[in-house]
Amino acid sequence: MDFFIEQLANWKFYLFGTYPSGPLTGLALNIVLALLSISIGFFFGVVLGLGRVSCRRYVKYPCSIFIDVVRSTPLLMIIFWAYFMLPVMGMQLSLFWCSVVSLTVYATAYQAEIVRAGFLAVPFGQMDAALSTGMSRFQALMYVILPQAFRMMLPSFVSFFNSMFKNTSTVYIIGVVELTRTGIIISQLKPNRIFASYMVMAIGFWVVCYTLSHAAEVLEKKVGVIDYEAYKPEICRQDLVLFPLPNVVKNMLVSNKCK
Amino acid sequence: MKFLNLRYDFDWGIPFREPFLGWLITGVELTILIAAVTAITSLFIGTIVAMLRCSRFKIFNIPAKIYVEIVRNIPGLFWLLFFYFVFPEILPFGLGDTLHEFVKYSVVAGILGLTVDNSAYVSDIVRTGLLSVPRGHIEAAVSTGLNRFQQFRHIIMPEAFRTILPPLGSRMIHNFKNSSLCMAITAPELTWATQQVESITFRGLEVTFLATVFYIVLSLIMAALIIKLETHFKIDLTSIKEQKT
Repeated sequence: MDFFIEQLANWKFYLFGTYPSGPLTGLALNIVLALLSISIGFFFGVVLGLGRVSCRRYVKYPCSIFIDVVRSTPLLMIIFWAYFMLPVMGMQLSLFWCSVVSLTVYATAYQAEIVRAGFLAVPFGQMDAALSTGMSRFQALMYVILPQAFRMMLPSFVSFFNSMFKNTSTVYIIGVVELTRTGIIISQLKPNRIFASYMVMAIGFWVVCYTLSHAAEVLEKKVGVIDYEAYKPEICRQDLVLFPLPNVVKNMLVSNKCK
Repeated sequence: MKFLNLRYDFDWGIPFREPFLGWLITGVELTILIAAVTAITSLFIGTIVAMLRCSRFKIFNIPAKIYVEIVRNIPGLFWLLFFYFVFPEILPFGLGDTLHEFVKYSVVAGILGLTVDNSAYVSDIVRTGLLSVPRGHIEAAVSTGLNRFQQFRHIIMPEAFRTILPPLGSRMIHNFKNSSLCMAITAPELTWATQQVESITFRGLEVTFLATVFYIVLSLIMAALIIKLETHFKIDLTSIKEQKT
């Protein structure tokens, strides 16, 4: 236990390193990497995800191929591609930006799949209804489909943020000093305290991820599923039942409240 | 490749030159070995944990829940590093030194770490499968006089595994991709081999390209296999009903 308390004295190193005077490291770097890669990847993810459900083949196939290729490559391979390929192509990036690029590519493909699933979960009738009110396809997408789709996607986005936050520990392999590397450096300084420093590392990851996964559960219960039946006015349901009947009979049967 | 204006001459002979070719082949073998062994062990442990989580007794229920919550919220890389660096240190009776003398300890640590990481996810998937079996089926099994083990073997498991086959399969593909993380603990699998070639010849792009193609092709094959299995095991309910009438 004493080892553990001794390690907790280093909490500043684990959380943000020597930030104001030196580079940002530790757990804060993990969070920054996850936030950056997800928010940049979100933009491309929406574009690619909508491209994948497009009916135009020259849009659909490139998007599908990109998503499938990235999704079936290990994250480590994407990181190595960014690490070795970008300098060869004449882009000298720092380690931080290199890891941001690779994590963004990874996040893009996965978020595109989430967007696609959310888009397909919105009933097709919504698009038809929007088009019949005279909206253009773009307007229908912006004002009708995407708001509903995003609401359904919110829980999967939060749980994806959770897995992305865990994935940021992978960039330790190319030498970015985030929480994993910090823990290893401190454990190498004091080899007989190795267990304690690994414990602190694990607790750092655990606290953030546990909060996120519970946030995902709560969101799933609150906003995750849209109950379309609840939004239908009663007159519509009556209409569906009484559709084959002539108007006169219908008016007689439908109660005053629904008129 | 002229249009990209690369400052690099591709030399496709490198992956086929001698020490490198051997490394790559052992790398491919080890990658498949690690993925297969962890798939089997994590399926085994995951099923047990899922069964414990569905148990009525709090003695079984709560430890399983704690295990899943701990493992799921810590990255897989941590478990690999933990089993390689820390696990031998905390073992009693000098067992750790015996482990260190073991030549391929890195591979064993990789398998242990990936198993622990994957089993939590697998247990979550299996648990949803177990809960998805309709209550009526279990009651029907009880009323025909099957004991608890027989119910489990003949009624619950076949139904549950049919429903969870797609998510379980995608988790196993994920696990196969995660096996590349074993490179961090110097297990000589494919990614490690590519990095070794890179650090010796400074020509890593060719081998990295080949390794990426290998990973993509094998994941696509696994995905196709899972779809095949799914259609193979599917019970066609409509045809059964037609036969009856």
